[in-house]
Amino acid sequence: MAELAPGAPGRRPPRIPFYRDVRVLGVLAQIGFVVLFVAAAGWFLSNIADNLDKLGGSQFICRDGTSSFRCFFDFLSLESQFPIAETPIEYDPSDSYARAIGVGLLNTVKVSVLGIFLATVLGTLAGIARLSQNWLLRNLAGWYIDIMRNTPLVLQLFFIYFSVLLVLPPIREAIQLLGGPIYLSQRGINLPSLVFTSSFTTWAAFVVLGIIQAQVLWLLLGRREEKTGKPTNRATWAFLSFLLIAGIGWRVATTYANDQGILVAKAARVRELEDVATLMENRLQVDDLSDVEEMVAGGALTAAAVDEAALSLCVLENAPSEANLTAQLRRANVPYRVERFERPDQATAAYAAGECEVYAADRATLAAERELLEDGAGHFIVPIAATPARLSVPRLEGLNFVGGAKLTPEFSAILIGLVLYTGAFIAEIVRAGILAVPRGQTEAARALGLSETQRLRLVVLPQALRVIIPPMTSQYLNLTKNSSLAQVVAFPDLWTVSYTTLNQSGRAIQVMLIVMGSYLAVSLAISALLNWYNQRIALVER
Amino acid sequence: MATLYQNLQSLVGRRTGVHFDFGQFVRDHVTRAWYLTAWLLFLTYVTVRYTAGQLAAAPLTSGVILAVWVVTVTLVVVGNLTRRHSPGVRWLKNNLYNSITNVQITLLLVLAIVAAMRGFYSYAVVNASFETDPDVAATLAFTGANWGAVIANLRIFAVFRFPAEHAWRIWAILIMLVVLAVPSFYVYRPGFRGRKIIRRILTYVWLLTPIVSYVLLRGVGGEEGTLATINPDRFWGGLLLTVIISVFAIVVSFPLGLLLALGRRSRITGIPAWLIWGVAIVVAAWGLLTSTPENVRAARNTPELLLAYWPLLVLGLAYVFQRTFRGNVVAAFSTLYIEFVRGVPLITVLFMAIILFPIFLPPDVTIASTTRVLWGFALFSAAYLAENVRGGLQAITKGQYEAADSLGLHTFDKYRLIILPQALRAVIPAIVGQFIGLFKDTSLVAIVGLFDILGVANSIASQPQWLGVRSEAYIFVAALYYVGSAAMSSYSRRLEKRLGVGER
Repeated sequence: MAELAPGAPGRRPPRIPFYRDVRVLGVLAQIGFVVLFVAAAGWFLSNIADNLDKLGGSQFICRDGTSSFRCFFDFLSLESQFPIAETPIEYDPSDSYARAIGVGLLNTVKVSVLGIFLATVLGTLAGIARLSQNWLLRNLAGWYIDIMRNTPLVLQLFFIYFSVLLVLPPIREAIQLLGGPIYLSQRGINLPSLVFTSSFTTWAAFVVLGIIQAQVLWLLLGRREEKTGKPTNRATWAFLSFLLIAGIGWRVATTYANDQGILVAKAARVRELEDVATLMENRLQVDDLSDVEEMVAGGALTAAAVDEAALSLCVLENAPSEANLTAQLRRANVPYRVERFERPDQATAAYAAGECEVYAADRATLAAERELLEDGAGHFIVPIAATPARLSVPRLEGLNFVGGAKLTPEFSAILIGLVLYTGAFIAEIVRAGILAVPRGQTEAARALGLSETQRLRLVVLPQALRVIIPPMTSQYLNLTKNSSLAQVVAFPDLWTVSYTTLNQSGRAIQVMLIVMGSYLAVSLAISALLNWYNQRIALVER
Repeated sequence: MATLYQNLQSLVGRRTGVHFDFGQFVRDHVTRAWYLTAWLLFLTYVTVRYTAGQLAAAPLTSGVILAVWVVTVTLVVVGNLTRRHSPGVRWLKNNLYNSITNVQITLLLVLAIVAAMRGFYSYAVVNASFETDPDVAATLAFTGANWGAVIANLRIFAVFRFPAEHAWRIWAILIMLVVLAVPSFYVYRPGFRGRKIIRRILTYVWLLTPIVSYVLLRGVGGEEGTLATINPDRFWGGLLLTVIISVFAIVVSFPLGLLLALGRRSRITGIPAWLIWGVAIVVAAWGLLTSTPENVRAARNTPELLLAYWPLLVLGLAYVFQRTFRGNVVAAFSTLYIEFVRGVPLITVLFMAIILFPIFLPPDVTIASTTRVLWGFALFSAAYLAENVRGGLQAITKGQYEAADSLGLHTFDKYRLIILPQALRAVIPAIVGQFIGLFKDTSLVAIVGLFDILGVANSIASQPQWLGVRSEAYIFVAALYYVGSAAMSSYSRRLEKRLGVGER
């Protein structure tokens, strides 16, 4: 450079003055920007302070009556004074705002997690259907995707809530879906659910053991495959061994579970659960309880007589003992009716008053309650077997469904809406991912002699997943953020509860800070998780 | 069965010389794996039950469908056995009946689709009412859709309460757009042979249209006169508001998004480290000396005690700023803005514009809530657009930048002529997809109390003469959104084709 530069040799070229140096000017501009930014923020803050004074200045009042910046968030411990329709944890209007917002957050997490799972399943199925060889199925999936993607989610939510779920028939004429135990009515959706008894933990331990041993078997057989070169069908063997151990665990857990029982009067001569059937047979004057239904149909017995003779049970609300006992009674064809109580002492009082013949609960409770009875010695605790989990099926009793799980119309609307909407987007992602695997890969796998499942598992899926994961991440994030639209169907998610809090307490800034912070945190957490997964499966380039 | 099979075998074998092994067929298609057998059994069960149910519900239609199905399946089977296919049968074989599963799924789907179409037809046409007079409609006994409510409210759907005496302004805008669109169709064609200047003038006129439209819609001057001011909060609504929000957000967010994308990628020399640390240390020391002792004394619990040491956070921020962004304020601001906006739901941004923004302003300044919502949309959209554009920028190779530099272009021309045309062309599908999303998201303003088409649809249900009419309005609005989105995506596909995305 130096010899090309004009001017006398040996003289250094003149330095660019700092006011014409782009770098210096750039830095100065940035400093100016920061100063402007800080000034603007200060202006906003002073406006906020002015406006808050006008609003009454209660924003900074502490509980002891003084006023300080430190007490900006003190309102969170005040009584919320509004009810929340759906609460995964205990909540009462006398609880604090903080707890209310926590309930909302849990509801958001519930909807998001369930929604992400179901949308992935639906989207994968629709994406595969979009590539189906069946022309009808292909186009039907295409229409579903098109309609969902081209109409707004809010509109879909309104439609699902007001035009579908709220115009369902009243509870007595509930629609039974697909002939199964799924009921749709104005009051929501009733589904069968699993009820876990206390022996579930024992079984869970066996399941974990089974998983470990299946893994070990998988590895050992794999090693043998490598050594001998002969296929050993190790997937089947590992699965079978897992089933075996889980099955043994189920037996063991059931056999040694003895914490559930029923309290009956000694006079009833019930020593074990089988005796209840004998008692009923004597009462109805039949030889076999399984004939009762036929006899009622044939006229040999009246339905009223059966109702009269039915075993009356006292149980505790939301305790697994009810599902457990009734399942066993149903298997023995014993007619029964159930009365539910919130607290053990209420049930005991009803039992003592003779309102029911049998009181079902866990044995510790029963033993304690028996002590309180006047003629405690005249009652007997019969242990009953409890499998680790029982299917609880909803059935109509009077004006309500009993048993199973109940989804409110609000929860159903937001869940169905999110799943259908996001499912359409996921379907397109899955389709693109599958199409992104070149045909040559499939052909190469076939040429190697891989089976269809091996081809999918070892060749197509790993390559497709690489394309699928990044856009899938953003769909999961969208679903989580879109769950804030629960407000339009009045489901109490984080945003809905916070908005109520905002209106109730007048703390707009604080509530907005909390809400936006929570969503940001959830978004960042999901994207961090999936980024980590993405890095794990990403192509290792040369 | 065996005789039938042998007869069939001899028949097929004699005619064509083709050997058909029934056992082999069953082994290949039914008993190959236990799960295949189980699946087929299950599917057959479902098909038989559903078909029986449909036959009971609608005997004639279902019977015809079943007959057609049996005939076509037979045709395909015969075609397969004789190895001879007419074009129609070949299509059936490839698209509807290519496996036992698909044979059954086809029947199931046809029955289900026909049943659904019958249901919708009877709801929307046969049992529907098109009576626009609510008093007459009330006397009609119909069980289907009440389209009269939608038809009677069409004006409200279109422009909401826009004053009738100013309706000419909307017509003027529409005429202006049509007048501009017709020459554009010729001038912007790839084969246009006219002068370059015509194209340029037309482009400038197009760039002016949003401003002219805004002036016409909003009005200038006082309450009186031909161009009287119109209060957007009261008079903008319906499809008009939906379009205004979409267009405003797209027009404003595009340049903002470009700037944010370039900002996030900027590598300009940042504020030097000594300055950052100097300021940070001064601020931290000042904070530690003035506020911390007092706050530590007054702290009631551990979080407050920790918060009292906030000046240390300034040092932490300075470290992160220096480490991650190398003191580059532009990149730091763009990145934080984009990540923040993309991390929160749109509804919170809208409520922030509605509830919080007035608190940020001096007490005597008021801005119409429609305007605030418009800006909320634009600022929200800009962050998403920035990420899309950044994707395009990342696809540009370093050589393009170096080529532009070696041509002696300065930064502005480098981006205008070399980088952005390529970058934007690469991400047209993503950008249009985002604009479609934006168009759909305008429906959120119904939640914050403005009356866009969805808000109007909701309001019909509360009109006393059309009490409870909801579904019809929703279906109508859904159709509008569908048409709008589909139009945008088909235009995007045309644009992609014309610009040759993915061809070079």
